[in-house]
Amino acid sequence: MKRLLVITTICMVMVAFSLPAMGAKDIVVGFPMYLSGGGAVFGKPSAEGAKMLVKEVNDSGGVLGRKIKLLVRDCKNSPDEATRVAKEMINKNNIDFLVGGLTSSQGLALSEVAKQEQILYIAPISKVAGMTEPPRLHKYVFRSAANSKTEGRSGAVLAAKNKKWKRWATIGPDYSYGHSVTAAFIPWLKKLRPDVEIVHQAWPKLGESDYMPFINVVMASKPDAVFGSLWGGHFINFAKQASPLGFFKKIGFVSAGEAGCLEAVKGAGDDMPAGIISNTYDTFYYPDTPWHKAWVKQCQAFTGEKYPSSWLGTGYDAMKFLTEAIKKAGTTDTDAVIKALEGLTINSSVGKLKMRAKDHQAARGQYWGTLTKVPEYPFLILKPVEYIDAEKLME
Amino acid sequence: MNFDFSFVAIQFLYGLTNAMFIFLIASGLSIIFGVLGVLNFAHGSLYMLGAYTTYQCVSFFVDSPGYFWWAVIVASVTVALLGGIIERLLLRRLYQHEQINQLLFTYALVLILSDVARFIWGVDQLSVSRPAVLKGAVEIFGQYFPKYNIFIIFLGPSIAFLFWFFMLRTRSGRMIRAAALDRETLGSLGVNVDRLFTVVFVIGSWLAALGGALVSPVVTIRPGMDVEIIINAFIVVVIGGLGSFWGTFLAALMVGTVYSMGILVFPRLSMIFIYVIMVLVLIIRPWGLLGRPLQR
Repeated sequence: MKRLLVITTICMVMVAFSLPAMGAKDIVVGFPMYLSGGGAVFGKPSAEGAKMLVKEVNDSGGVLGRKIKLLVRDCKNSPDEATRVAKEMINKNNIDFLVGGLTSSQGLALSEVAKQEQILYIAPISKVAGMTEPPRLHKYVFRSAANSKTEGRSGAVLAAKNKKWKRWATIGPDYSYGHSVTAAFIPWLKKLRPDVEIVHQAWPKLGESDYMPFINVVMASKPDAVFGSLWGGHFINFAKQASPLGFFKKIGFVSAGEAGCLEAVKGAGDDMPAGIISNTYDTFYYPDTPWHKAWVKQCQAFTGEKYPSSWLGTGYDAMKFLTEAIKKAGTTDTDAVIKALEGLTINSSVGKLKMRAKDHQAARGQYWGTLTKVPEYPFLILKPVEYIDAEKLME
Repeated sequence: MNFDFSFVAIQFLYGLTNAMFIFLIASGLSIIFGVLGVLNFAHGSLYMLGAYTTYQCVSFFVDSPGYFWWAVIVASVTVALLGGIIERLLLRRLYQHEQINQLLFTYALVLILSDVARFIWGVDQLSVSRPAVLKGAVEIFGQYFPKYNIFIIFLGPSIAFLFWFFMLRTRSGRMIRAAALDRETLGSLGVNVDRLFTVVFVIGSWLAALGGALVSPVVTIRPGMDVEIIINAFIVVVIGGLGSFWGTFLAALMVGTVYSMGILVFPRLSMIFIYVIMVLVLIIRPWGLLGRPLQR
């Protein structure tokens, strides 16, 4: 009898404590991200960007009078881990929406989770084009990132400009992203320049640590230029091994995979070869417009860094699409938010950005340019640099 | 595809370099299994710790001359001693248990050590410069080949030869071989088998750590390198024959060169060749190329 009384009391106390929370329940967003391992250097600032948006929204009263609660979890570098973390958050933390994942395989894995669990998912970074194309496209998946198709095609636009580059080789990591970005680059380049030929394609595995045998074979095929899609630390490692062989002096290099982003140029220091063409999500030094200056200022204030990361925008924009869509829908009902997201335009880190209704893909371009040494900064910057709009490159 | 001979030769040399690294690591794995009968999953973790500790030592010693070599020696010995401590305090208690328990234990070590490394050195990629004397490249057949790689190609066989000499011509070597064959008889002859086991584990750990230390200027040091190498080392040991020293050497040569030549000929399939060799060996000679069939 006494025991029953204790249990009843405990239950009542618990109910009492949970009551006020129920009044204005938080909107919970699960954010699995690659936070430990080689990709963490991008995953961390992306998560920071998401937090920055959440703070911005919550400070101005939240959405529909409710606060946003962001649950950031490490899902390392594997798609399995991303799936596990996402499912755990769905079952245990009752998340309302899912945003996150870094590698293309993680994006595909999370998209699969979203389809099964019927939860809205926005991919902030994963680029593999197939994710927002049939047969993989489904109603619950959206992408605020650029995709491998527009990225490869933008690379081809710049590659085609140099008339001396006729013999091309490619080197990319042997997984979905490497293949899809290369598959987008080659036909677009051939369309713009029918006189080019592909002389060799090298496919080191993702995370390969010894690129020497691959570099040797690429050089043996005597290309004028090489299109690469090794990203982050993989590219730096590659560049370190290739530079002593005079690789970048003899051969032109167009690098997809954000070798031009601040993390890459800072991390590589003197190992980053000047003169290569590459891309980035954001640059703090360009463009010199009021909205971009305001954005850089916000990033500086939030992170306390003088040169804010190029990746803050990825997490920020994904979360902004979500919160703006909830606002527009006036409810957190998944189907209504999906409807609201389709065709939605937001003020993003790259200016006006539209989520296409047709394929749930943001019409997002990237900054492209030639990595150049300048006296103002202790690292290379993209100069000249331009924003290559994705709209013209998409079907 | 048509390649100049010089590129093929250089490709072969890269394969040899790779083979020597794999040999260093796999030989340690092989000798520990041969004598202790323990399949040490954590061998790759010792290799990883060797690389991280080298990085640490390099940043300590960077102002003194020849700092890289000191770092390699200090790091490999430190990790070897850590191996000794692990054997003495933990692994020893498991010799009486079934092999599956030992395997689970060493797997637990993999997880623990990788978290320890993550805790101490973080998750970012680290790198070590090549020692000053071995910076740059030499011209071979009109192509450039890094000096450091040449050093590794010569170092591998030297260590193999020294090791072979130690095992065949010294008293300790003979005892180790005897322990591999029949530890009970050796013990009844008055030899301290427990101590012998610790020594072997320390030697094996040293080989792994040395591999990690020497590989540090060639690759990036990062979490996950432990698991990557252990798979390659297992493949080599399986192909060569568990516990067979020269088998390990031969298999490392095969795996290293087949992989790099595969990149030249069939870029997409280079890794598959190695698995195909392993599968063929397992079917035709399950005890490995130079191993002995189990007689239990």
